[in-house]
Amino acid sequence: MGFRKVCKFCERNVERMDYKDADTLGRMITDRGKILPRRATGTCARHQRQLGTAIKRARYLALIPYIQGYHS
Amino acid sequence: MRDYEVVYIFKSSLTTDEIEARLEGYHARILAGEGSEITAVEHWGKRQLAYPIDRNDNGYYVVTQFTASPTVLPEFERALKLDDDLLRHLVVLSEGELPVPAPLGDRSDRRGDDDDEDDDHGRRRRGRDDDDDGDDDDDDDDDDNEDGED
Repeated sequence: MGFRKVCKFCERNVERMDYKDADTLGRMITDRGKILPRRATGTCARHQRQLGTAIKRARYLALIPYIQGYHS
Repeated sequence: MRDYEVVYIFKSSLTTDEIEARLEGYHARILAGEGSEITAVEHWGKRQLAYPIDRNDNGYYVVTQFTASPTVLPEFERALKLDDDLLRHLVVLSEGELPVPAPLGDRSDRRGDDDDEDDDHGRRRRGRDDDDDGDDDDDDDDDDNEDGED
């Protein structure tokens, strides 16, 4: 785990989170598909809020899973 | 007038012509409004879904940007809902600037210097002022293990 203190998205000057960017969003979820908490990623409050919305949109669009590794 | 973005996911069994015909039909409903404009249509093409939707494992993605008055949206979305060959759709406001796609890989410090750089037009300057003014820094230092330094 990193000691990262600076929010990834701030570093890249993200003004608006892109819910279509499955690669980036895919790195902000656990291997089960849950949203990673700020304490694990160092994301700032503002971007974490945006991230939550973006991940939920991306899930709806089947870009990332709701639940990973679940087969009924 | 506001800027919107809509993502469509069609059944991948449709042909390109069928998809184009449908898009045309939807977009006619947007353009019915005074001063509406379709600004971009991007076909992602066939893509695997992260989970099956109605037993479909693949979908054909199309992303469209448009400018329109909010009054055209109900009619537009009604048309989308009626189409059984459209697996999903999402209409969102699309205002503000999109981030440049993330540099792949683990490092984020080599910003922007990929060789396929599309030197975006002043996009990443004039963002927020990056100093977090200390107010949301409450996840206080859990890394006071002193063996961190060398």
